[in-house]
Amino acid sequence: MSSRMLLGTVVPCLKQNATKVRVRRMELDTNLNMYFKKDEFYMTHDPSKICKTGDVVLIKKLKEQFNRELTHKLTKVVYPMGDITCPLTGKKVVVGQYRDQIEAKTKLFGKSKSAFNYEQAPARGRLEGTQDFTHGETYIKYHEDGKPQPFAV
Amino acid sequence: MSFLNSLKKTATGSNLQLVRNYAFKSDLKIKWVRPEKIPCFYPEKSGDLSKLTPISGTETSLDFKDSRELNTADEDVKALFSLNYQPRFKTSDSYRDQMIRTVQRHELDLGSMEVKLAKMTATIRRFQEHMENYPRDKKIKVELKELIDKRKKFLKYLRRWDYKRFEWVLEKLNLCYKPPPPKYHWITRKESLVKLTDIHCDDLKTSKLENYKESLKNQQIEFLERKVRNLQFIRKEQIACNVPVTVSEEDISRENARIEVLKKERAEVETSQETNLD
Repeated sequence: MSSRMLLGTVVPCLKQNATKVRVRRMELDTNLNMYFKKDEFYMTHDPSKICKTGDVVLIKKLKEQFNRELTHKLTKVVYPMGDITCPLTGKKVVVGQYRDQIEAKTKLFGKSKSAFNYEQAPARGRLEGTQDFTHGETYIKYHEDGKPQPFAV
Repeated sequence: MSFLNSLKKTATGSNLQLVRNYAFKSDLKIKWVRPEKIPCFYPEKSGDLSKLTPISGTETSLDFKDSRELNTADEDVKALFSLNYQPRFKTSDSYRDQMIRTVQRHELDLGSMEVKLAKMTATIRRFQEHMENYPRDKKIKVELKELIDKRKKFLKYLRRWDYKRFEWVLEKLNLCYKPPPPKYHWITRKESLVKLTDIHCDDLKTSKLENYKESLKNQQIEFLERKVRNLQFIRKEQIACNVPVTVSEEDISRENARIEVLKKERAEVETSQETNLD
């Protein structure tokens, strides 16, 4: 069983070298004869922190655990969040359209200079901690101590 | 309580105290301060990092911007068509137009997600200004709340669809996005104190561990020197007794090198501390 791969989504976790992965399965309740969601969480070794919250990743169990917490290792980021590539055509997709289709449409109308340019856009994650706080879990502010609490809502 | 204690004293004839064990009371001196309530439509809650740039009011309103007749008209007529003399919503419209123009894909783009968000942001900031002046305006307040929630929802969608565009929009409109907390609950004294106690315990644990590590580090040089002495002794004895030699010169020199590195590190730390003190 240790060689099996697990497919899960990354959930927010502020630990260095590690990401938390949620593997969701459907479990049959024999009493109600209905399926219910069942989540399992795995702490995954990810030294360079490639994963971001929401990515769909493949993980595998570590052969030798070097830490009590980390049990799995990252094998592949299947779908990075918000940057999907179509597995059939290999083109980039946004919701129901290919990116080049959208681009062609805007070109017909005459693309404005200030418009968003996907090719020139920098890699994601540059606003982490300043304007984008999705890499950690937020909480309702319960205490006032004068220190900045970026994840308090 | 004291009455009950005195009753018990008379009943049992001893000094037993009644123990109060129904309310959480910590021995630790942790002070809890309840955070002040910030209304949800305030900019610090809604995620608006900047306000609208004030308009001088001398600009022509949007409807008459391209009018040829107005260009050749009298100064007074021009003033009449400026934002100062037009209804308030004309100023809002011009704000909205300004904001949309910064993110539009093309000139006729009025329905893309960026534009929708820009439109909402302009309205939200305008409403926030209004709420500062008229805090009891319930109708606008409700509208503002709903609009903020809607914008948050749209930002959530955009993030899932196209992360780079989401970041670009955040930067362009100067917004801050925080995902919703996993659980909504009342803030209570007990729960907050439990959380603060947990944090206190964690801090204690880490500080103790760090101290222990520091003390071990301080003993490192001493330990290595003793190790070198022992290795040298073992080597000498093995050679003297004609037994296979298990400790090589390399082993000893390696340990010596480690000692030198450690000593250098310590000297650096000391000099940096001295400069800091000066």
